[in-house]
Amino acid sequence: MAETEISRFIEWRRGPAAMNEKITQMLFNVLDELNQLRPREEHLAKEVGTPLAGDFGRLDSAALINLIVLTEEKSAHELGRPILLTDDRTMSQINTVFRTVGSLADHIHLLLNEKRDG
Amino acid sequence: MDKQSYTCVLVSDFNLQNFAGYAANDPEFPNLKPIAAPLGQPVPTLLDHTAPHWQNAPDVAVIWTQPQSVISAFNALLTYEQVPVREVLQEVDEYCSLLVNMSGRVRYAFVPAWVLPSYRSVFGVLDMKTGIGLTNTLMRMNLRLAENLEKVSNIHVLNTHKWIERAGTNAFNPKLWYLGKIPFGNEIFKAAVQDVKAALRGMLGYARKLIIVDLDDTVWGGIVGDVGWENLVLGGHHHRGEAYVDFQQALKSMKNRGILLAIVSKNEEQAALEAIQHHPEMVLALEDFAGWRINWQDKVQNILEVMTELNLGPQSVVFIDDNPAERARVKESLPEVLVPDWPEDPLFYPATLLSLRCFEMPSLSREDLSRTAMYFSENQRQDLKKTVRSLEEWLRHLAIRVQVEELHPANLQRATQLLNKTNQMNLSTRRMSEAELMAWAEPKHRTLWTLRVSDRFGDAGLTGIVSLEIQDRKAQLVDFILSCRVLGRKIEETMLFTAIHYAHALEVEEVYARYIPTSKNKPCLDFFKSVVPRFQQQGEIFIWNVEHPFPLPEHIELVQ
Repeated sequence: MAETEISRFIEWRRGPAAMNEKITQMLFNVLDELNQLRPREEHLAKEVGTPLAGDFGRLDSAALINLIVLTEEKSAHELGRPILLTDDRTMSQINTVFRTVGSLADHIHLLLNEKRDG
Repeated sequence: MDKQSYTCVLVSDFNLQNFAGYAANDPEFPNLKPIAAPLGQPVPTLLDHTAPHWQNAPDVAVIWTQPQSVISAFNALLTYEQVPVREVLQEVDEYCSLLVNMSGRVRYAFVPAWVLPSYRSVFGVLDMKTGIGLTNTLMRMNLRLAENLEKVSNIHVLNTHKWIERAGTNAFNPKLWYLGKIPFGNEIFKAAVQDVKAALRGMLGYARKLIIVDLDDTVWGGIVGDVGWENLVLGGHHHRGEAYVDFQQALKSMKNRGILLAIVSKNEEQAALEAIQHHPEMVLALEDFAGWRINWQDKVQNILEVMTELNLGPQSVVFIDDNPAERARVKESLPEVLVPDWPEDPLFYPATLLSLRCFEMPSLSREDLSRTAMYFSENQRQDLKKTVRSLEEWLRHLAIRVQVEELHPANLQRATQLLNKTNQMNLSTRRMSEAELMAWAEPKHRTLWTLRVSDRFGDAGLTGIVSLEIQDRKAQLVDFILSCRVLGRKIEETMLFTAIHYAHALEVEEVYARYIPTSKNKPCLDFFKSVVPRFQQQGEIFIWNVEHPFPLPEHIELVQ
């Protein structure tokens, strides 16, 4: 078995909680990068409940674009699994998917599972 | 460093919001306050001097465009239409004239060089062919841009390619372009902000001027006191030896660019100096160092002594040492000294030195290029001082000659440099670009003189500025600036003589100097308080009745 397959197998054995943890940590790294673009008083807290887009969201359209691109880049680099966040399905429910860090993590988890199952 | 925010107008054909974000929130000095001009309209923005973002005298402008959006002939080339290169370059000239017109609205302008995304390599080797290759044409365009703008002192073309190399595969992301009209990845914007800020630090007088290096395991491998100079790792067919040679060459290139070098090392002085003088692979010679302290004392104390000897403050100094404990000690005791984190592996020494962003200067003057020689002359003056009995005798032996000239294009560059970097003997600490200084001195009621100082040991160069503004038979001494290199040799009095003598000729009744305090210019206040003959003091204003001439110091030969 190739090394990546072994690590994916281990990951699968550790279960969804471990994967969620990795995705959340990856998103916190994305927030670190986004915060470099924002004044200190507008920094996004590294918490799953931090609102992103939608009614209570704190990101304007440019920041949302940065979030999408950085998340795709980091997913490929840190999780070793490329994902697509600009597909029609994600875009049509943008305020739901990007409502909070937690909702985005759930969506990424779903995308990764779909890839594995597919 | 000052806490002032510098307004920065952003002009672009693409979305510069990420650049603005980094610029506004990057903690490094200076603080930038970005003001975005309307997106996608660089040419109308450059043409319209009445537009709101140009009002209130912005400090900085960044004009960052894609070549195809401002040079229509290049846009045609992108679709492989046949366009003669001369047509493309003619458009570059026209675009440059817009930039030149804009340059009068700001103190400093930055123009990143044009680039194309690196994935655009569909025609391979044709890319570098004249007339057909896009990269070939783009290189010519950038060269033309740089040559045209070189004539304007406050416009600086930035090397975008360096940022792209650094960002690697993250330099371009088509997704950012299609979603947000952002052609570059964020690593590019971060690097751009760092370069703009480094350049501004230099222009505002905060460039570092002195590199203090350790010796053992820093400029050569091994402990000279233990192994002897013959057995040091330096040069030869040895990978680390070659890296130490390259590191010395990098230091030498810094010295040739006007940055002073000094040594602070825990060693036996004789053994260390022997190594410098006798090792056949040494690139640096003893004459390359403006000073040294090679002994077993605390390095902080030694650094302070070198700074005093060279008349430089801690904000001018970079300290390089392989020993993390020594670095930590210096960092803690002298927080204004820049102590870069230093790699453990000497193979990375040259690259680490050459990537430091703290030596940037907007221009290089004759004085910069011969700075180390000037410090050598200074050592000779100090040696002479020890052999005479009084200050007067010393000054007489020096045979000082002061050449006074009004501001003109040939001395403008150095005068601006001196204005912007002198902190101690500086009455009003004004910071201005070349264009601003020239414009200020132009009206008839204002005069600005520069002073070149030389003596029997050498030429200290253009080291003084004094300026007057006359109104209603009163003259204000606006600038009174003297490089610390020549302080205390009665040049200060010669500057007062020059200004007061001129005022007298114009029948001015009173010359006054208003001292504007900063954290560093107390020496200027002390001078005005103590100068003989005395000025009349009213708070921080010093007044001279022009009815009485101010004497020219006896030992000074004045050339006008």
